Amino acid sequence: MRTNRLRNVCAVLLLAMASAPAAVRAHHSFAAEFDANQPITLKGTVVRMDWINPHSWIHLDVKNSDGTVTRWMIEGGTPNTLVRRGFTKASLQPGTEITVEGFRAKNGANRANGADLILPDGRRLFMGSSGTGSPRDPEAGK
Amino acid sequence: MRTRILWAVVMATAGLASTLLAQAPAPAPKASAQAVAPAPRTPWGHPDLQGTWDYRTITPLERPKEFGTREFYTDDEVKALESGAGRRMDGPPEEVRPGLTHAQYWTDPGRFLTDSRRTSLIVDPPDGRIPAMTKEGEARRGPGGQPRSNVNASWLDRGNQERCITYGLPSASLPTLYNNNIQIVQTPDTAVIVHEMIHEARVVPLDGRPRLSKAITGWIGSSRGWWEGDTLVVETTNFNGKNNYRGSTTGLRLTERYTRVNRDRLEMRLTVEDPTTWEKPWTVLLPMRPTEGELIEYACHEGNLSMFNLLEVARDAEKAAATEGGK
Repeated sequence: MRTNRLRNVCAVLLLAMASAPAAVRAHHSFAAEFDANQPITLKGTVVRMDWINPHSWIHLDVKNSDGTVTRWMIEGGTPNTLVRRGFTKASLQPGTEITVEGFRAKNGANRANGADLILPDGRRLFMGSSGTGSPRDPEAGK
Repeated sequence: MRTRILWAVVMATAGLASTLLAQAPAPAPKASAQAVAPAPRTPWGHPDLQGTWDYRTITPLERPKEFGTREFYTDDEVKALESGAGRRMDGPPEEVRPGLTHAQYWTDPGRFLTDSRRTSLIVDPPDGRIPAMTKEGEARRGPGGQPRSNVNASWLDRGNQERCITYGLPSASLPTLYNNNIQIVQTPDTAVIVHEMIHEARVVPLDGRPRLSKAITGWIGSSRGWWEGDTLVVETTNFNGKNNYRGSTTGLRLTERYTRVNRDRLEMRLTVEDPTTWEKPWTVLLPMRPTEGELIEYACHEGNLSMFNLLEVARDAEKAAATEGGK
């Protein structure tokens, strides 16, 4: 019995370690473009969203403390990933106030790699939508 | 110190777990009793493979060494792996790790093992791993496998993928971070396999025409196909050598076998051969599910702001270094 329990604990530990994100190739190098040591939070108004495969871009007007406005570009995921998570072209209309958490461009340009997106009502856009009943996710019913 | 002890415990436990796992047999899963509609046929009588197919999975290409020749995960392992993958995809943002190339919310690697519950996509050799490399293959592979330059003097320094040229074969046919979809279109004498990962549309003649001369090569080679029973066989050679798959270049030969086992499953059995690179061939079994909708165009060049951005970052870094040096 004890051996079995130990075996289960060990198995889960090992599997948890083995199931870390695999070293897979994304389209381009994060490190060449963005700085993991420059996390940034931006609150602004959506100007538009470019639905480009493999990387979407959100254009965001951010009001500075002196009243001026800076246009930022936030890199996002592939369109089909977004659609599977229930996020369509209608989801992010121009004029929507959002908060984006991400990592800034290495050279300090007004660009960031988006990590998370928070809507005015506090909903985090991508949490829990995939695999939990999102109608377009074929894995949802598994 | 405390951390060191913790690590020692974790590593020792992992080692013990490896031993136990290697010894623990797991039976092959039983086939589902639920009836699924049979595979449809085209009006001209071929098996109908047409549609968009989704092959996301967290099943690794190669079996973790600890599992030895054990082919299947146990129920507990399936649960642990799939719930772990689910947590990664849906976990709170505090768990987003800086340095991941992209946040997990933006990616789509899947959250389930294949329904066979295999411990690797590779089904041959029996250890589920890519066979040993030849010296020649090792030399071509170089450090780190797929070349990705850290030099950004020009776009020419970047890889084929970043330059929107090709994801390469067989990479475009194997699960990755996102865009794990293909579309198949058939006529009586041609099949077209379209990959969502970098716009490849592979036109496969099925009319028995001869292979191209070895002098004619291409980024994704040249394919010929035929039917063996209800299986579509696609053989691809004539690679131009400008893409390097784990050390394999012009010697690469791929044989894909597509079988629609029922309405909801397409199985691809892919054999990868290159005697100049690996000591023996190896075979992957990848099941795919039908998915709604069409592929989304991979408008790579049109949308490749990343290339502009990373070159700009490199030039700015040079300017900053020059300013610093001039002080």
